[in-house]
Amino acid sequence: MISLSSYLFISLVLFLCGIFVMVARKNIIAILLGIELILNASALNFAAYTKFLNNNLEGHIMSLFIIVIAAAEAAVGLGIVIRFFQLRESIHIDDASTLQN
Amino acid sequence: MFANTLFLASACLTIGGAIAVVYSKNLMHACIYLLASLFGVAGLYTCIGADFLAATQLVVYAGGVVILMLFAIMLTGGTSNKVNRFGLEKIPAMGNKKTFFIASFAAVVSAMIIVKILIPVLKQNPSSALSPNEPTVERLGTLLATDHILAFEISSVLLLGALVGAAVISRPRKEIHD
Repeated sequence: MISLSSYLFISLVLFLCGIFVMVARKNIIAILLGIELILNASALNFAAYTKFLNNNLEGHIMSLFIIVIAAAEAAVGLGIVIRFFQLRESIHIDDASTLQN
Repeated sequence: MFANTLFLASACLTIGGAIAVVYSKNLMHACIYLLASLFGVAGLYTCIGADFLAATQLVVYAGGVVILMLFAIMLTGGTSNKVNRFGLEKIPAMGNKKTFFIASFAAVVSAMIIVKILIPVLKQNPSSALSPNEPTVERLGTLLATDHILAFEISSVLLLGALVGAAVISRPRKEIHD
């Protein structure tokens, strides 16, 4: 039951849910939730390939760096969201249109 | 037996949490469902013997990122302005039928691309003999301190930069009146 294909399937479902959330939502924090799902899918893939292909832990290192970068990205992204809320009183993605045109 | 049960429970928790994030209409509930999904991913890490990775996942994601997101939701919540600055009614923040249709189209397209990539990978059928799980912390520490020391140091600088950057960006700016 614990096989590479089942892990790839779970990772695929996580990635698709992340894509869905990123496209469907109009809320900046909800889009960040989708990005977290996608990063988790890729980290799970790295760890699964380490287990089932060769046991040399390089994938674990990559997963660790993905987790670190996801934490940094969440901190900076939420800081930007809070600053945007102070300026515009909104977290709707359509209100962030200053750089258009 | 126990490993299979843990794997099934973690897989159900992961997939169910991810799908609940898609379909929940409340941002706070979506964040809690994301927390459930992250717990499931930690269980999946445990099933393939990645003990340090599972612990890091729990500490960093469940203890750090989700709490940060909950605080951001609570700090920015409560705005229900339904019109944009032109006076037109705008799309609700959690999406409506049209955005969900477009998102399902995008998901189907990316699913077909990934399945197309994955089918030859799965046909190769790599070695199915599972090696027994053994502690990885010591080997991971050795690898991080020898082979990947440059990436390790760069990530520490990145974390410092992210910390300072987040504090500077979200600081309220005082207007100077003289």
